[in-house]
Amino acid sequence: MHNLYVPHLMTIEDVTEEAPDVKTFHLVFKDEKMRENFEFETGQFGEYSAFGHGECTFCIASASSRKGFIQCTFRRSGKVTDALYNLEIGDTIGFRGPYGNTFDLEAMKGKNLVFVAGGIGLPPLRSLILTVLDNREDYGDITIVYGARTVKDLVYKDQLKHWAERKDVKMVTAVDPGGETDDWTGKVGFVPTVLEETAPSSGNSMAVVCGPPVMIKFSLQSLEKLGFSRSDVITTLENRMKCGFGKCGRCNVGNIYVCKDGPVFTAEEVAAMPNDF
Amino acid sequence: MTLKLLKEDGLKKLIEALNKADTRVVGPKRNKAGMVTYDDVNADTELELDEVIGRYSPKDAFFPQHETVMRYKLDGKDVHVKAETPVIKETVLLGVRPCDAAAMISLNKVFTWDYVDTLFTERQKKATIISLACNNADESCFCTSVGFAPDGTEGSDILLKKIKSGGYLAELITKEGEAFATTHKSIFENAPAKADTVAIAEPTKLDIDIDRIKSWLDDKEKSWEHPLWEQLAAKCVGCGGCTFVCPTCHCFDIVDEPYGDQGKRVKNWDGCQFDHFTLHASGHNPREHQPQRWRNRFSCKFKIYPDRFEKKGCVGCGRCIRVCPVNLDITEAMTEITQIAK
Repeated sequence: MHNLYVPHLMTIEDVTEEAPDVKTFHLVFKDEKMRENFEFETGQFGEYSAFGHGECTFCIASASSRKGFIQCTFRRSGKVTDALYNLEIGDTIGFRGPYGNTFDLEAMKGKNLVFVAGGIGLPPLRSLILTVLDNREDYGDITIVYGARTVKDLVYKDQLKHWAERKDVKMVTAVDPGGETDDWTGKVGFVPTVLEETAPSSGNSMAVVCGPPVMIKFSLQSLEKLGFSRSDVITTLENRMKCGFGKCGRCNVGNIYVCKDGPVFTAEEVAAMPNDF
Repeated sequence: MTLKLLKEDGLKKLIEALNKADTRVVGPKRNKAGMVTYDDVNADTELELDEVIGRYSPKDAFFPQHETVMRYKLDGKDVHVKAETPVIKETVLLGVRPCDAAAMISLNKVFTWDYVDTLFTERQKKATIISLACNNADESCFCTSVGFAPDGTEGSDILLKKIKSGGYLAELITKEGEAFATTHKSIFENAPAKADTVAIAEPTKLDIDIDRIKSWLDDKEKSWEHPLWEQLAAKCVGCGGCTFVCPTCHCFDIVDEPYGDQGKRVKNWDGCQFDHFTLHASGHNPREHQPQRWRNRFSCKFKIYPDRFEKKGCVGCGRCIRVCPVNLDITEAMTEITQIAK
């Protein structure tokens, strides 16, 4: 009798402090078979547990093309994330997943790609960006527009630098007005504004957007101004979840289950949804 | 369909036989607070078969209100986990109402689409449902308004109908029901050519049209921001009682209960009427206000269930009406929407 609720055990092999209250865990399955056989596709998420505290939902932030480990990035903002945040290298966490649908990599092949992320919205896109960059020749121009409230709040700082150095990636990093430091060389402005200034071409392009609800809302408008059709704009939705597989009944947006039908949706699909997220 | 006869002492004999076989019997029983609920029954004298319907639904037999799913033990940096494997006995739900039997089919769809929750299905597989047709409806009953009937057979393995002179006529609905009657063939006797059964309860609340309600809900432009939700929720205190007594409500929470360095992970019933139910860690809440939560519950019953599970989300048992501390009546909303959607 297979019990859906029992998590796999994973060891925290590395911890990166990304920003205030934000950490990335590098996780490896304790079970050798799981280590060898575990597969996921970019866009999917999992339920991570701090034993004695409960479970939390995060996307898998590492590339599906890199095997043997997964990474997740989370902000400390509640009881369970607080408990996870306090764990150290060598500690054990629980993992259930992967759950949910995936980014449609096939549809993206041969296209110019524009990634738009705000704050803690970069982790879901990171999995996709890394996967795309691992197969760079399959895609056209790549533009990444990423912003956070302040310089401190930018996550994956080393990765951002690396992406900025690559000649085959156009990396635009921004912080909200007032969030810049004296030595800040990136843009100052809100993500939707910076996106419009960057003005990536909408021809043969797809855009992927993730971030706080307000940022998503205005970025979708900016993309529309830039000529992107809603079916070429992808976003991921978040709603509170418990089970991750369509039973516990709380992530639904109207009759859409974010955990099963999502978390990845086109802007067209989102526009058709009732306002319940 | 095969008909059998349970004589006046049939239920007594049946429960005795089931006790002997170590089969769990769950039926309507009066609890210490004086309410009829569905609980373990060891003798026919405990059964409250004349009660219109139990206060809570018998869904607890397949989907316990609190259910341990796994146990863990911390061991330095390691953790040991163990799946909970509950001992699930053969079970007979005896004397439940046809609406509750039908609700189990709806619940099954939720717990089996794509991912199969074996904690539910194993219990359901080991259960025989012997329901009892209703001879009386109270003012809250409305099964006939949502496409069911007081003598409906959906979800039942065997349906009993009371005979005027005593005993029951047993309709064997499913193969499992047939097999059950064969196992207990000395109790399920051959039915007489004609049995004079007690009249079935009359249909109630005829001014409701659930197809019309469904198409109104489908039309998001018309229904999503309708002032009706505000009106309905104005009285609602958000106690969630309706969701707990509902036989098709399936929402749950998953929490850890630690005891020192060990503990268990538990599935607990939860409900969409609570303010924290959809609250994000960021503080954002998609359903911050009671009207949004009311709209969700109503939509879940009459749109989400039919859309996603091709089943009815409401079986018309009326429990949400009986339990509501502020006398909110879902059928009033259904009647009003039936009018609006004309």
